[in-house]
Order: sequence, then structure tokens, then C-alpha cells
Amino acid sequence: MNATKVVARNAIVFWRGWRSSIFLSVLAPVLFLTAMGLGLGSLVEPNAEAFGDAGYLAFFATGMLGANCMQSGAFSASYPMMSKLTWERNYEAILAAPLGVRDIYFGELAWIGVTLAQQTIPFFAIMALFGIFDSPLAVLAIPAAILTGLGFAAAVMALTATLQTDEAYTWLFRFVVTPLFLLSGTFFPINELPAWGVVAAQLTPLYHGIELIRGVTISNLTLLAGLAHIAYLLFFLAAGIMLGIRNLTHRLVS
Amino acid sequence: MPEEGVLIHAAGLIKRFGDFVAVDGIDFEVRRGEAFGFLGPNGAGKTSTMRMIGCTSAPTGGRLSVIDMNPVAQASQIKSRIGVVPQIDNLDRELSVRENLEMYARYFDIARPEAAERIDELLEFVQLSEKAASRVEPLSGGMKRRLTIARALVNRPELLLLDEPTTGLDPQARHLVWDRLYRLKQRGVTLVITTHYMDEAEQLCNRLVVMDKAEIVAEGSPRELIAAYCTREVLEVRLSDDNRERLKGSVDGLVERVEWLPDRVLLYAETGDATLAGINDMGIQIETALVRRSSLEDVFLTLTGRTLIE
Repeated sequence: MNATKVVARNAIVFWRGWRSSIFLSVLAPVLFLTAMGLGLGSLVEPNAEAFGDAGYLAFFATGMLGANCMQSGAFSASYPMMSKLTWERNYEAILAAPLGVRDIYFGELAWIGVTLAQQTIPFFAIMALFGIFDSPLAVLAIPAAILTGLGFAAAVMALTATLQTDEAYTWLFRFVVTPLFLLSGTFFPINELPAWGVVAAQLTPLYHGIELIRGVTISNLTLLAGLAHIAYLLFFLAAGIMLGIRNLTHRLVS
Repeated sequence: MPEEGVLIHAAGLIKRFGDFVAVDGIDFEVRRGEAFGFLGPNGAGKTSTMRMIGCTSAPTGGRLSVIDMNPVAQASQIKSRIGVVPQIDNLDRELSVRENLEMYARYFDIARPEAAERIDELLEFVQLSEKAASRVEPLSGGMKRRLTIARALVNRPELLLLDEPTTGLDPQARHLVWDRLYRLKQRGVTLVITTHYMDEAEQLCNRLVVMDKAEIVAEGSPRELIAAYCTREVLEVRLSDDNRERLKGSVDGLVERVEWLPDRVLLYAETGDATLAGINDMGIQIETALVRRSSLEDVFLTLTGRTLIE
């Protein structure tokens, strides 16, 4: 598999700065869970039942696990990929060797998967230290979060492959990623939204990702609902991959 | 079937992007061991042709074979035997000089000990041994170019594609690149070079084609092209406006061809000195006169015109 060579290249660059990467992926959840989970949580505690039996800290942390993967996946597929595609033209260099567009595409997507795991696992471990989980099944939240993040990564890769400049990213993050982060159930249950808002939120991939994560950790999820969330996320990922390969092929070998 | 010793064979090769025709039915052959040049102004179709040879752009029509293989169906096999030096350096800035070569060796499935040996040799060859541990960014333009060339040689290619290899380099850096390319040619590596520097083509190319507006307009060795499209010498004169008018009236029959540029007049002649004497005999005052051998540049401008193409 030639895609592993693209992964290897990214791994070399990552290992050079692994200390700071690991440090940040531990520090971020500690800060978030302390400030938002405990700090804000103490203020919203009077309404605790709205967030389920586990309390606000657990509600917020499980939402954050998914939202973090969305942001990280979307970001990794934006500026860093545009740099290799447009500014540095690294992909052209790789294509001059006996590798193809698919090798580049799956190599990059797989690497984003690795970075998502590298952030999600410490996050999950910190959550465990905060005493959020009571079942070993909760570990399924890790693949659920990574699947969510990969879906967003694939979608943004499909966009990046069509872009010549980075202007669109300002719009993407301001008007897509941030609203999803705020309104897909990370901070409060979507039931608090007006009726049309509930429907809109239910259409977003982040909502399904977070519901899946909460379902395997702090709330009960029927098998059918769980499969529906997984099916949605897989469809989102598959659509992104198909579009991404098409766009990248058009961009690089036409 | 292409004949023995032909490395690249193109017949009626076409590349279209939508309605835009980048390459319009060109025919050429590159023989093993030669240095073959594509000359032409920007937008003539040189880079599109190179990309088709390098298997990153599928021909829209016509036939193309590279090392007796089809660049669409057998891209990987072809790519493993050729090297590509792109117009714009696309080195990996997050890796060191040596890592750039190591990573590339990996793309070609070259085993580590073998790669390490080759990389030492290549760094020596392009005079970057002392920069092996450096990041790419602080390197000068010439060094980056040489590193890009070294990277293209990591798989020991029999065919090296160079798209404007010395554009943007200072004279010292250009000469060093030319020297290395000349050595590669001596070792039997076939070179295909695009350029719009005539001295580069004259220095390096055994044979070349001139491209203009997606077509090949001339083909031959630099010497053959000069003989076919130019006189042996060129007389360049500068003169005042009224003398210019007088020259215009009497120049017919004196030389084969005259070109009236805003600042000077080019007279294409077999013997520049005799032409100069002829003008002096007519009593036309000349401010400055220069007799020089005609060059590929004269051929190029004759064939592709002087209008600026951007």
C-alpha cells in the first residue's frame, strides 16, 4: 500500500514535535473540563436533570469529545492540506514518483485519523480520571469520535481540492464549523432549541456523532438508534471520500 | 512500433482543457542518450507536453509512448524509470535536505541501505553534502534547484524531464546546473528540457523543437535551425530617425531580411562587415554598429514573433 508512505512522511514530521503535541492534547481537555465542566457546571447544576443523570460535566465532556474531533478533522483538512496542494505543491512531487492520487488521498485521511486518535485517547483518559464513565463499554466513544472527525475531514478535503486560495476557510469556520460546535448539542441539549432548530440540528453530522458518543457512555441508546447514527456518519464519510477523490483527481491529474 | 533507441514517441499528440487547446497535434521523437529541448514562449504548450510525458496528464488525443509504454495504463512503471524536475521547486519544507531525498527514495521502494548510499553520492554530485542536515527553507534558489535535481535522480532514471531548469537562477547557479546536466548526459541519461533561454538550449540540447501556440513550428539541432531560419551573421545598427528613413529607402537588395525595432535595426546578412561597408558607402550615418553571429534567439524570435506573450 503506497498510502502508508504518505502516512510515514507525516509521522516523521509529527515525531519531531511530539512532546508539544502530546502536551497540548492532555492540557486541552483538562482546561476544558475544569473551566466549562466544573466551573460552568456548578452554575447550571440547578437544572441538572436537563443534562441527564450524569450531570453537566459528563454531558459537556462527551459533547466536547465529538466537537473536538470535528474541529480538528476539519482543520487538518484545510490549511495544512492547502499548503501541500497549492502553496508547496508537495502532492505534485509525490505524483512524479510511482504513487497515485488515491495513495495521497488515503494516506492523508489515514494520518488525520491517527491525529484524531492522538487527541481523543488522552481526552478520553482525562474524562475517565474525572470519573465520568462507569462502564468499560464507554471506550467505544473513541472510535465514535474519530469516525465523526474523519467525516468532517473528508468533507473539508473535498472542498480544499477545489480551492486556489484560503479565503473560503474563513467562511467555513465562521459559518459552518462554529455554529455546529455551538448548536449541535455540545453545550446544551438540542431540545432547548426552537422546533425548527431541533430539526436542523438533527440533520448535522456532529449531532449524530455526539449522540452516539453519549449513547455509549452516559445515556442509554437503543441498538437501532445507535446503528442509525453510525449509518449516518458512515454515509457522511463515504460521500466525502468519493467527492474528495473526484476533486483531487481533477485537480492533480487532468 | 517505434524504432529501436527511441525513448519517447509522440504522434498527433493533443491536449485540450475544455475548449482550450494546449497542445495541438504534435509529432516528435526523443532518442536514447540525447538532450532534447522544447523551446517556446510562455503558454506554447511545453509544460502540458512535459506533464503528459511524466504521466500526470492524460493525452486528449493522438499517440504517446514513453520507454515503449503507455503513460496512462502504465504510469507507475514509467514513473519508476524517469525523473522529474518541475518548473517550481516542490521540496518538502518540513523535512531536511537529506530527509527530502530519503522520503523520495521510499516512494520508489528503494531499500534503506541502498538509498543511504545513493543519497550520499547525490548530495556530493549536486554539492550539497554540507547542507544535508539543513532545513530546505534557508537554502538559496540554486541550492533548492540542485536538491530538486538530486531528488529526481534518486531512482537512477534513464530519462530526466526538466521544466525550465534554470529559470530564476543567478548566472553562477545556472552554470553549475548546466554543468551537472551535462555530466548526466555524458553518463547516458536522456534529458528532455523545456526552456525559453536560448543559451541554455544551445549549451545543452542536441536537438530541439520550437513550439508556438500549441504547435511545433521548427525542429532540428541548434545549428540546423540557425542555418534554416537565419543568416550566418546579424548586423545591429542604431541610427537617427532621418538616417533610419534613408536606410529604409535603400536597404532592399542589400540583405536578405531586415527587422525594424524601435531602438535599432537588425540586418540579417551572410557577412555583417560587408553589409556595414555597403551602408557606409551610401553615406548613411550610423551611431553604433555591432556584427555578431546569429543565435538561436534570432531563430526563436523569427519563428514566434516579438510580441510579448503573457
